[in-house]
Amino acid sequence: MTRQDFLLKWFFYALALLPVWWLELYVLNRLPWPGASPLLLPVAAITVAVLEGVTGGAGFGLGVGVLCDAVYYGAWGEMTLGLCLMGWAAGAASQYALRRNFGGCLLCCAAGLGLLELFRVSLGLFTGLSDLYALLRVAVPELFWSLCFVCLLYPWFSWVRRRIVKALRL
Amino acid sequence: MKRFFRSNGPIILVIALLLAALTAVGAYVFQGAPNPLGNVLGVVTTPIRNGISALAGWVEGVYNYSFRYDELQAENDRLKAEIAELEADAREGEADSKENTRLRQLLGLRPKDRRFELESASVTARSSTNWDSTLVLSKGSDQGVSAGDCVVDAAWNLVGVIDQVGLNWSTMLTVVDANLEMGAFLSRTESIAILEGDFSLMADGRLKLTYLPENTELITGDLVLTSSMGGNYPSDLVVGSIESIHTDASGISRYAVIQPAADLDSLVQVFIIKDFDIVE
Repeated sequence: MTRQDFLLKWFFYALALLPVWWLELYVLNRLPWPGASPLLLPVAAITVAVLEGVTGGAGFGLGVGVLCDAVYYGAWGEMTLGLCLMGWAAGAASQYALRRNFGGCLLCCAAGLGLLELFRVSLGLFTGLSDLYALLRVAVPELFWSLCFVCLLYPWFSWVRRRIVKALRL
Repeated sequence: MKRFFRSNGPIILVIALLLAALTAVGAYVFQGAPNPLGNVLGVVTTPIRNGISALAGWVEGVYNYSFRYDELQAENDRLKAEIAELEADAREGEADSKENTRLRQLLGLRPKDRRFELESASVTARSSTNWDSTLVLSKGSDQGVSAGDCVVDAAWNLVGVIDQVGLNWSTMLTVVDANLEMGAFLSRTESIAILEGDFSLMADGRLKLTYLPENTELITGDLVLTSSMGGNYPSDLVVGSIESIHTDASGISRYAVIQPAADLDSLVQVFIIKDFDIVE
């Protein structure tokens, strides 16, 4: 792959991320149900990592993490490191352990989001934000509602990848 | 294993670690300001957010007209009756106010005055995560907005406090956010207490009133206003009313659950209090 192909490929992935970003931050959080808005950007990072492998996953995770830290209120850099590690791990899992398909992606997303929620709940308990029950009342619906969107994001990014492969004749 | 780690993005992980550390230091040092990338994204996306917000408002209007017409008609009739009652009260209040002015003059006191410098803003986005209760507004430092400014709705109900300010946008903590804390004044009993957001009540759109005065009988429906304690926030802005009173887990102190007066879910337009001068 030439340098130009490489840049084009990631440019298309970044373009594909735009509607996901808008959907999460400006549309879905306006809906009154189901009591939580989904985390689409982390799901997108893990999905691309499953499709692209370790290095691509870590790089895309890093980019999405920086975006999350910029647009999520109160973020302090944890998403940059967290999504880079998740992308790296999801890429490695899909490359060496799991199948590169919807099931593998769902497993990786469940593990990644589970860890993210575990981190947030632990942080909430540590800082005395609230009790475990109240924290779980937010974390659990957020996790499951976000996982529902794997059904949408995996086909979306798979389609984008197929188009990229076809367009760049990789 | 060594080869795997060497050939699979260790540089990316190091960059991520450095960027995360930089963001964490920036967030700690520049409290009240978004990180530079966040500010740029906020500036660039503000017109798009305004567009989405306008579209959502239009859709909501069409929905209300189509499916809630009777409900809105009934509300309109009720509000007309309420306005007539309030106009009668205002006429009575006018006479009292004139008497009060005369008496203050006799005592040589400065006349009561409340002056506010307001900036109108529209709500362009809602909370970006489920772990806070924030609103993104369409005005920022270019319009003189600064962190700590109070935000009210059209009926002067307190909506929240500005927390982060970008160039043409700002993020506001709503009154139910777990990070919000301010002095409160109970109008019926003329006593003071502390208003604080509570994470477990946030999802239900409620907040907590703590340090309740002892030997004071509070009742459901008591009006809670902002107090002038500390001078940071203007006094007498309506925060909400007492919904229920509880005893905490220790069994020693009481707290009240407050229902905010502002309808936080359907806010479209708000007013930022950039400056105020109140003579009591």
